[in-house]
Amino acid sequence: MAYAYLFKYIIIGDTGVGKSCLLLQFTDKRFQPVHDLTIGVEFGARMITIDGKQIKLQIWDTAGQESFRSITRSYYRGAAGALLVYDITRRDTFNHLTTWLEDARQHSNSNMVIMLIGNKSDLESRREVKKEEGEAFAREHGLIFMETSAKTASNVEEAFINTAKEIYEKIQEGVFDINNEANGIKIGPQHPTTNSTLSGSQGGQHAGGGCC
Amino acid sequence: MSDSGPISAEDPVSEGHDASSAETSVGSSPITPESTTDVAPTRRAKRRPEPKAAGEPQEAPKVEEQPAQTSTVSQGGWGYWGSWGKSILSTATATVATVGQGLTQVIEKAETTLGIPSPTELSAQVEQEQKEQGETSSGADAAAADGSAAVGGAMGMLTSLTSVVQSTGKTVITGSLDALEFIGKKTMDVIAEGDPGFKKTKGLMIRNSTLSQVLREAKQREEQQTAEKESESDKKVVAHYGMLFDEFQGLSHLEALEILSRESESKVKSVLTTLSGDEQLQLRGELQLIKDSFSLVEFDDEEVDEKKDGDGSEFERELTEALKGLSVTSTAEKLNKACKSTCSQITDMTQPEGEDGDETTERASVEEVHAAAIRSLAELTARSIELFHKLAERILFSSCSAEAKVLSQLTVILCKEISLLSKKFTSCLTTAGANEKGEVLNPLITGVFLEASNSASYIQDAFQLLMPILEISHIQQRAESSEQ
Repeated sequence: MAYAYLFKYIIIGDTGVGKSCLLLQFTDKRFQPVHDLTIGVEFGARMITIDGKQIKLQIWDTAGQESFRSITRSYYRGAAGALLVYDITRRDTFNHLTTWLEDARQHSNSNMVIMLIGNKSDLESRREVKKEEGEAFAREHGLIFMETSAKTASNVEEAFINTAKEIYEKIQEGVFDINNEANGIKIGPQHPTTNSTLSGSQGGQHAGGGCC
Repeated sequence: MSDSGPISAEDPVSEGHDASSAETSVGSSPITPESTTDVAPTRRAKRRPEPKAAGEPQEAPKVEEQPAQTSTVSQGGWGYWGSWGKSILSTATATVATVGQGLTQVIEKAETTLGIPSPTELSAQVEQEQKEQGETSSGADAAAADGSAAVGGAMGMLTSLTSVVQSTGKTVITGSLDALEFIGKKTMDVIAEGDPGFKKTKGLMIRNSTLSQVLREAKQREEQQTAEKESESDKKVVAHYGMLFDEFQGLSHLEALEILSRESESKVKSVLTTLSGDEQLQLRGELQLIKDSFSLVEFDDEEVDEKKDGDGSEFERELTEALKGLSVTSTAEKLNKACKSTCSQITDMTQPEGEDGDETTERASVEEVHAAAIRSLAELTARSIELFHKLAERILFSSCSAEAKVLSQLTVILCKEISLLSKKFTSCLTTAGANEKGEVLNPLITGVFLEASNSASYIQDAFQLLMPILEISHIQQRAESSEQ
């Protein structure tokens, strides 16, 4: 249960590109072809291990519909990582990336790690956006890039984990101030000895709560 | 609520013109006119509703209002407060930004996050700081002392939660500056623009720390305890409310709801500042009506009859009725499901065992009943907060227009259910632990009641978070109808 860090992620991108499916594949390892339209935001969480450390990812899966944009924007703040998703079989979802990116940059902290994801890579025959185009866009805007398939689970783990690795490296480099929660990073519960100040009140809690 | 007009007219946001009326209230206190303008009106506006509140039947959750009322009496202190508070404000805010970095949202919006400290916390802190520094004003001292007295009885079993709040503050904020930050918070309360949400905020989740922050830190502490205990007591059934609440995504929904609430609140404020004179007055009046509905939640624990609603179907009926037309069916279903499974769990546990049954294996142990109770409470609370969050999104998305009355009715239904289930669980516990010693059984029963009471506080606080959302929704609808 204990984790060293908690990272807040957001998943953004046009409606129907497979954001909720990516999340479901990552957290539950299953694929659901028909998904309810996301209203506002939904959540998922999973523990991963990087560099021998347990890291909890708290993922905010936002609604892609334009009409929800004003609400979902509010949720960008305080995210350490973002998955910006488009659908390789729909050119328009790729064309909208610039808007999404601007939005994300404007409403979140500048250090946020952004992973560009071309989803539905299993539908090769219907592909409208070349992989090279995705790569070029990512290069141009300083993003990490991956093509995934929420259906076959291809690259899904990698997408979430590589984003976390990047964040973790930034922490090591001192780019992220981990004590500032506006960065979307929280430090996990400390281990016993370091917290003598707590012990007194903890004792009180035990007696009062009676749950331990 | 007949005097709602004057209150709204003197709401703290409106600045200068309150000065004259404020002076009459402050009397001959030795304060500079400048600080009168800034400090006293706010204080007065905030105090104004208190006597009215005192007239109402006082319940435990309302006690945080009392200290403010008491301090009205000790007028001598105001002058001191006024000038002192003002001079320290800028330092305090700056300090908050740098020192309190561990506090969840402080950095982003210090102003909205800082609020009235819980009276118990306040008194404890103030007393402590007095010992340490001997700097606290006599006015604050008196207020704090009265506050703790007023609180002591009413809070009763909730005190252990307050200690959570205290320890939270202590661990997060280190160094001698914590005193300053604390003073800053109180000063902010005196000076900052009034947040009407405060005055009716129930329970202990006072917004000097946000609700989700308190919960998160409770959870962290539990995780820590688990980490400590992992080796020694793997076999023991331990239920951690905070961790379970998080597992059911309660924390995330709460955090999201807080974000929406804060943003709506600042939008409402900025709309109000753009209006002038009569327009502003009129809107304030309209918003006051919304606020009033939020303060009317009355919930009588005693009325809950634990005999009824064995399978949760009555709850479902009431919930469906309350949510009619609010298009949050899927979320409500989750809540219903949670409630029904809880009810069937209780039924299973209360089933009389066969005479030949070996009790130790057949009947659920007290620990198991306790664990089930805590888990159910955490799940129901998380689902309730999810429901409020989804409602908030729907309202902002204007796919539904919920009335405050409906929402407060909903809050009552949810709190009643929590109370009902906790009663059922404790009678389960009593049955299951018939052969247990009091020192084993009693803490478990207390634990269930404590978490039930916390659950109800969280739900009520989440309900309060909807207020700015209804306000901005009202403003939007108003704008739309005037365009037509």
